[in-house]
Amino acid sequence: MYDWLLFLHVLAAFMVATTAVMYTAFAFGASPGGLAIRVADVLWNVGGLGTLILGIWLALYVDGYEIWDGWILGAIAVWVIATGTGERARVELAEGGGRFTAVHWVRTVAVLGLLVLMVWKPGA
Amino acid sequence: MMLVAAIRPDDWNFPLFLHLVGAMTLVGALLLVAVSLAGAGRGGSVATVRLGFRGLLFAALPAWILMRVSAEWLANKENLDEDPPGWVDAGFMISDTGFLLLVAATVCAGLAARRAAREGAAGGSGLSRAVVVLAAIALVAYVFAIWAMTTKPS
Repeated sequence: MYDWLLFLHVLAAFMVATTAVMYTAFAFGASPGGLAIRVADVLWNVGGLGTLILGIWLALYVDGYEIWDGWILGAIAVWVIATGTGERARVELAEGGGRFTAVHWVRTVAVLGLLVLMVWKPGA
Repeated sequence: MMLVAAIRPDDWNFPLFLHLVGAMTLVGALLLVAVSLAGAGRGGSVATVRLGFRGLLFAALPAWILMRVSAEWLANKENLDEDPPGWVDAGFMISDTGFLLLVAATVCAGLAARRAAREGAAGGSGLSRAVVVLAAIALVAYVFAIWAMTTKPS
């Protein structure tokens, strides 16, 4: 059970990171194409929900982790920032908004921040 | 309930972080290339064919190097390089085979981009399809690698 939870949690994290990589290409001026944007957005939605739900499930399942641990609460806060900026980036890209690049980089830094918290687990 | 999972010396964290950044960038770049070129095959532009080539050359290949070098660093720190368990062997085998696929895909994408520049997007459509297939095979293998790295069978 633990193995599958962890695998699916990490797979969801890869989906989130994949969207960040694909949007980075768009931010560098690549002409994305509708299919690439649709795939990136689906991965962001599935991966985002997956990391949150499976992450909380893992925190409840594993002895030694508590949902109120600082690094887990911090990760949830950063996840909220990533989700908000991710949605903003999607809208900006669709509407050709001038703030797309800036919003995308904030989201990318948030995704990297999540990875830092998951690897170092400060305070765990 | 499980026992605590987070028993890892602090000095493993940085190479693990680099390994994950490399692996995630590699998977993201491969998917971007596959999806862009699949779109190009259905009447896309020369720019999407060029994106496929640049995505492999400037993102996937450097990401593979970062992933592979940090994997070696991690294996060394964990003393897994002397007599590696099955999941480490599987990881190295998949990444090394994946490198061959990556090089082949990059060469095909480069040729497709050159032909597309000369003859329009349809010019390199056969090569673009080959890149999509190679990238898709690599992606399936990398999902298996993610499973092996997280569940550590044997």
